[in-house]
Amino acid sequence: MNCSEMLRTQAFLDGELDDTAAKQAERHIENCKACRAFSASIADLSDMLRKQIPHHRAPDALRRRVGKLLDEAEEAADPTPFRRRNFWMGALSGSGGTALAAGLALFLILPPSAATLAQSVTDAHVRALMNGKTIQVVSSNHHTVKPWFAGRVALSPPVADFQQQGFVLAGGRIDKVAGTQAAVVVYRHGKHEIDLFVWPAGKGALPGENTTQGYHAMFWRGGDLNFAAVSDTDWTELRKFSGLVRAEPE
Amino acid sequence: MDERRRRFETMALPHLDAAYSLACWLSRSQTDAEDIVQEAMLRAFRAFDGFRGGDVKPWLLAIVRNCWRNAGADVRRRAQTALLDDGDASLASDEPDPEASAMRTSESRRLDEAIALLPEEFREALLLREMEDMSYREIATITGVPIGTVMSRLARARAMLRETWMARNLA
Ligand SMILES: [Zn+2]
Repeated sequence: MNCSEMLRTQAFLDGELDDTAAKQAERHIENCKACRAFSASIADLSDMLRKQIPHHRAPDALRRRVGKLLDEAEEAADPTPFRRRNFWMGALSGSGGTALAAGLALFLILPPSAATLAQSVTDAHVRALMNGKTIQVVSSNHHTVKPWFAGRVALSPPVADFQQQGFVLAGGRIDKVAGTQAAVVVYRHGKHEIDLFVWPAGKGALPGENTTQGYHAMFWRGGDLNFAAVSDTDWTELRKFSGLVRAEPE
Repeated sequence: MDERRRRFETMALPHLDAAYSLACWLSRSQTDAEDIVQEAMLRAFRAFDGFRGGDVKPWLLAIVRNCWRNAGADVRRRAQTALLDDGDASLASDEPDPEASAMRTSESRRLDEAIALLPEEFREALLLREMEDMSYREIATITGVPIGTVMSRLARARAMLRETWMARNLA
């Protein structure tokens, strides 16, 4: 199982290609069995490495010794402590309360089909918020996020950045909508998080606009894909966001 | 503290973990890694005036790698055979379920062994990519080879690791 394009496919998965080249690579992967298998195996391996392999933290003693070495090298003292803030810890803690409240009231009796979809998408959104697992690949760069999906889900969701308009790409994850695997592109809008669910379109009807436990969801179809944007932001903003996504070329 | 030291603290020191991690992976020994990192940080600090902007991390990791290349023959020979010493402490996980945690730890160890079997140039390319999120260009700078070489090394490293991993899991 080999293909002469594999290095390019690999470069795409590693987020190394510019837009034009990335589009070509994507089209190639769709049509090349070898590269599809290759993508999946790279994604597997990458997930495993990132999950299993410890990132060694410099021992405190080493940190101190380095500090002392620098003191000696400089003949001065008093190092400034540095801190790195985990943005998402802060960002998510704000919405945690509402998410929890909503999570407790999840079991409403609803008719199936469109309503099931609405419920399922909101459930998935809330579950992710509650677990603090909305994002599996953290990146504001579509060159990282888009290839990340390539080996993991059998569709390629549109991934764009709408930073100018106030919707900032934050990353992506794999989730489920009513039992079907879906790609979720995650955006940040002020304090709010917007999940864009993308999954293969079936025969059933879509709910359109819907509010479940305080979360708004907008559904639409584009080509052979279904889309749902879910958030606790207000309708005006969510419509604006959906408009931007729909205006994006495939 | 003078201005240069302050700049070094804010720009280079946040990458101390990355420097240590790379040194661990190259030397397969936490003791040797500490020596390498101390040497590297001191060299980096002395050379800091020569640093012309850009991203500090690849610059610093390149110095770590050079210190490793210049380490004594005995240190380098140890790395050929050794598994990472004292792995348990660093494998401590936040997994609440002890059974799942133990399983993960043993899987981590087997993966660690599989990585250890990779030839050094493949291992470092893969680790810089997957653990440190370095770009092809950055890996090329750190390891001193053309980008094309980085690409083929990465592909080889992934294929080899996958093969070893599968073979071990089936055995
Ligand atoms: Zn191919």
